[in-house]
Amino acid sequence: MAVKTAGETGGRKASRFSEEGGSTLGLILKYVFLALVVGFLTFSGWQLLQDGSYPFAATFFITALFITLVYVRRTTVPLRWIAPGLIFLILFQIYPVVFTVYTAFTNYSTGRNVEKQVAIKSIENQTYVPEGAPTLNWTPLQADDGTAAIWVIDPATGEAHLAIPDQEWIPAADVPGLVLGPDGVPTSLDGYTVQANNQRFLFVSANQGVTFGTEEAGAQVTSSVEARETKQKYVYDPAQDAMVDQQTGKVYVNQEGVFTADDGSIVTPGFPVVVGVSNFTKILTDPNFRGPFARIFIWTFVWAVLSVLETFVLGMFLALTMNSPNIPMQRLLRVLLILPYAIPPFITVKVWVGLLNPILGMIGSQWNPGWFTSPFWSKVGILMVNLWLGYPYMFLIILGALQSIPQDMYEAAKVDGAGPLYQFRRLTLPLLLVSIGPLLIGSFAFNFNNFAIIDLYNQGGPPMPGAGVAGFTDILISYTYKIAFGGTRGNDYGLAAAVSIIIFIIVGAVTIFNFRYTGQLEEVSENV
Amino acid sequence: MNRRTMFVFVSLLVMMSMLLAACGGGAEPTAAPAPTEPPAAAAAPTDTPMPEPTATPVPVVEEPTAVMTETEAMTETVAMTDTAAEEAPTEVPFVSTCTGDAPSLLIWADDQRSASLISLKDQVLAETGVCLDVQEIPFGDIRTKISLAGPAGEGPDIFVGAHDWLGELYANGVVAPVDLGAKASDFDPVAVQAFTYEGQLYGLPNAVESVAFICNPDLIDTAPASYDDVRAMSEAAKADGTLTQFFAEIREDPYHQEPIQTAFGGYIFGQNDDGTYNACDVGLDSEGAIAYLTWVDQMVKDGLLSGDVDWETAHVLYETGAAACIITGPWALDRFQTAGIPYAFYPFPTQDGNQASPFVGVQGFMINSFSDNKVLAQSFLTDYVATQDVMETFYATGNRPPAFLPARGVMDDDAKAFAEAAATGHPMPAIPAMNAVWSAWGDAIKTVFLQSATPEEAAASAAAQVREAAACQ
Repeated sequence: MAVKTAGETGGRKASRFSEEGGSTLGLILKYVFLALVVGFLTFSGWQLLQDGSYPFAATFFITALFITLVYVRRTTVPLRWIAPGLIFLILFQIYPVVFTVYTAFTNYSTGRNVEKQVAIKSIENQTYVPEGAPTLNWTPLQADDGTAAIWVIDPATGEAHLAIPDQEWIPAADVPGLVLGPDGVPTSLDGYTVQANNQRFLFVSANQGVTFGTEEAGAQVTSSVEARETKQKYVYDPAQDAMVDQQTGKVYVNQEGVFTADDGSIVTPGFPVVVGVSNFTKILTDPNFRGPFARIFIWTFVWAVLSVLETFVLGMFLALTMNSPNIPMQRLLRVLLILPYAIPPFITVKVWVGLLNPILGMIGSQWNPGWFTSPFWSKVGILMVNLWLGYPYMFLIILGALQSIPQDMYEAAKVDGAGPLYQFRRLTLPLLLVSIGPLLIGSFAFNFNNFAIIDLYNQGGPPMPGAGVAGFTDILISYTYKIAFGGTRGNDYGLAAAVSIIIFIIVGAVTIFNFRYTGQLEEVSENV
Repeated sequence: MNRRTMFVFVSLLVMMSMLLAACGGGAEPTAAPAPTEPPAAAAAPTDTPMPEPTATPVPVVEEPTAVMTETEAMTETVAMTDTAAEEAPTEVPFVSTCTGDAPSLLIWADDQRSASLISLKDQVLAETGVCLDVQEIPFGDIRTKISLAGPAGEGPDIFVGAHDWLGELYANGVVAPVDLGAKASDFDPVAVQAFTYEGQLYGLPNAVESVAFICNPDLIDTAPASYDDVRAMSEAAKADGTLTQFFAEIREDPYHQEPIQTAFGGYIFGQNDDGTYNACDVGLDSEGAIAYLTWVDQMVKDGLLSGDVDWETAHVLYETGAAACIITGPWALDRFQTAGIPYAFYPFPTQDGNQASPFVGVQGFMINSFSDNKVLAQSFLTDYVATQDVMETFYATGNRPPAFLPARGVMDDDAKAFAEAAATGHPMPAIPAMNAVWSAWGDAIKTVFLQSATPEEAAASAAAQVREAAACQ
């Protein structure tokens, strides 16, 4: 009974699928949930459509369609298990990847941070006050039909007008039924109600950007008490792809995403444009980048390889030692050795930074070859800290792997006359590498992108003279971060995306190597 | 089993979508797309200390009588649907305390200012019918967040910031001009100058900040008047062996070094007649700047200054009485008081008759250019923030000299001393080329401290990098 043939299992599965929906309750629940999910997606998509986010809206609609098809059609049963995962994979993995690749080919950076339409709209919203236009005081009025108007007084001349949208200003003398208060502000006039001062903010809120008067002679409220004649400063000219300054006539032509005049002056904001492979050529050919990039590139490999090696060697040494039955207090020692693994690395790194502090630190004050200031010794320091952080992991997994090597092999080796060293070299190490090998490569990939320890130790410092944000202990990922977000020189997302693609290619190559290497090791284990 | 798992998963999905709908629905049509937003929105209520939504009915221009007969719960519902229908323009993924259809202003403020602004809420609502929403965000985070949230239409109407962000914020187009109106004369001219960029004022100044020359009066007889004196006193202290280092000079950044390098006649950017900075006049390899680096170089060579003294170390040295003098700002006073170490303010030492001048940083309120409520924001700033009472409450929490002159009367002696130091200063340049100064000039100073470059080499390298960044022919 316990043993089933493949045919039986398959048959049972098939029958389970064919009786799908056999339970009415299950069927109802299924469709209720499906309706809810699809309803939510469609609703969100609709909202996005209203907002003009078409790509996002399309994503939501396609997802809704996909879910409906998968869960309603019978032929797509196997997809049902992976559909949600697939959707999230596309949303949270594929989309960022595509976006990063796209960004690497643009000049997206500080000053070029919005879409072109947004930039144009934002620039066209800028206004100017014509020369000699007075600052006016205003009083809110409400017409009997509910529309708004203002009473403006020029404090310099004392002239007062009634200003109504899309009409010429009416001088105070021509306003019917006007009764002025002691401060020149009307207390009543025909057809309008003078609003109280506590209504000013609400009036401002309701009438922002409204011109009281005509296009040629009108005023906008600019604060709760002041009004000014304001005009649109820039107008976009699609023919030239340029912004034209209405005040001075200056033309700002779009140059790689920034509207720039002949004399080099610009109007902001700008927008990112596709610049081809220039970010990549910059990394490879610009002397300010090439030098530091090559050094960081090499150090990243040195760092990752040495980190794996040192932790592996120390971890293995300790594991072999602790595996020997002759060690007293074996359990206690094992626990103590694993302890650094149990403390959060963020705390550990900071403790080490404190210990190595040249003036206040317990180690640094006694012995300071330049733990944070010398390019060489800061690298030594950071490798030392990583050794402390990394060996317990190696110790732990090697200790486990040692248990899996059959003892009779050693006995056989002894019978054949192999000494301890020979046993280690020909027996322990190859068998260990079978199980540990992939983990070593995993550890390499992890250290290759070990941003936290680099940043916590010395923020990549000491600085590389004349190399921008680069520091001597920077690895590629921390360098990328500095270019994109951390630097004080502005954010260059395009360049950072290009560097991250290079990192991706390297890590990808390591992963492929990993798979191949794992296969080789399996062959080794078969031969042993 | 698989079916059950599926069932659980779908239920989870539905619950999540409900949550999303709750966070993003109703008055919040724009929240849904960004995948990272919902958790932030969900976390907001617990992270931000916000007062309970006030139950006070909102004074609205339109007749409230129609809804007066309904229960209060109904009022809420009606108000909610109204807002949804009209699509309140400036909503962000953060739990608003403003409900109903009263116009609202969202303010991003740091912990030094948020409480004072929140306390204004009831008064502003009662007097003007405008509802204030204050979201507390760490000061440094505002700079990066505003450039992302502003163009996305999710930014605040008003945000707190420092004047030296202006170069970046202007490039990203997220700041709108501010008009001080009749109150312009009440502000410290240096602060107004600092917030002026490309001929326009972009912020309402709130507080000025600068470093001062501080010494431990128990450890010195007379204050050093020049850097020759500093050297002589350092030598004497070294001979005595009483102090680790007489002058705890922070090796790190140009900010703390500015009063020293200006004392030697150095400068970073030349100033135009109107006080603005000329990015094409780079003074980092000027005689004065090299003289300053040479002084540092000699001090380090003779063991009187150390390249190991970073910001933290310098303060610990002073706090433990191992150093007599330090150049630092108001943020350090709390530490000194806690450590119980005496401190007194002295004028910056000068050299060869040059004027020593620290950087002045100004913090203030800026208006998001992508806000639909710019004029309302402007009105709120001039009518409610630029007042003596409010500026005094900012001083009470921040202890920085107010940029609003009528509020300076409440300053204590420490703040007065810092205000005096700031009066000798010049605004930190906000021009984009300044970004290169922070790293290039900072690295130059550091390499001299570390003895890995000569003063001339360091100065030349820094000047070349800054000139390249400034892109002047």
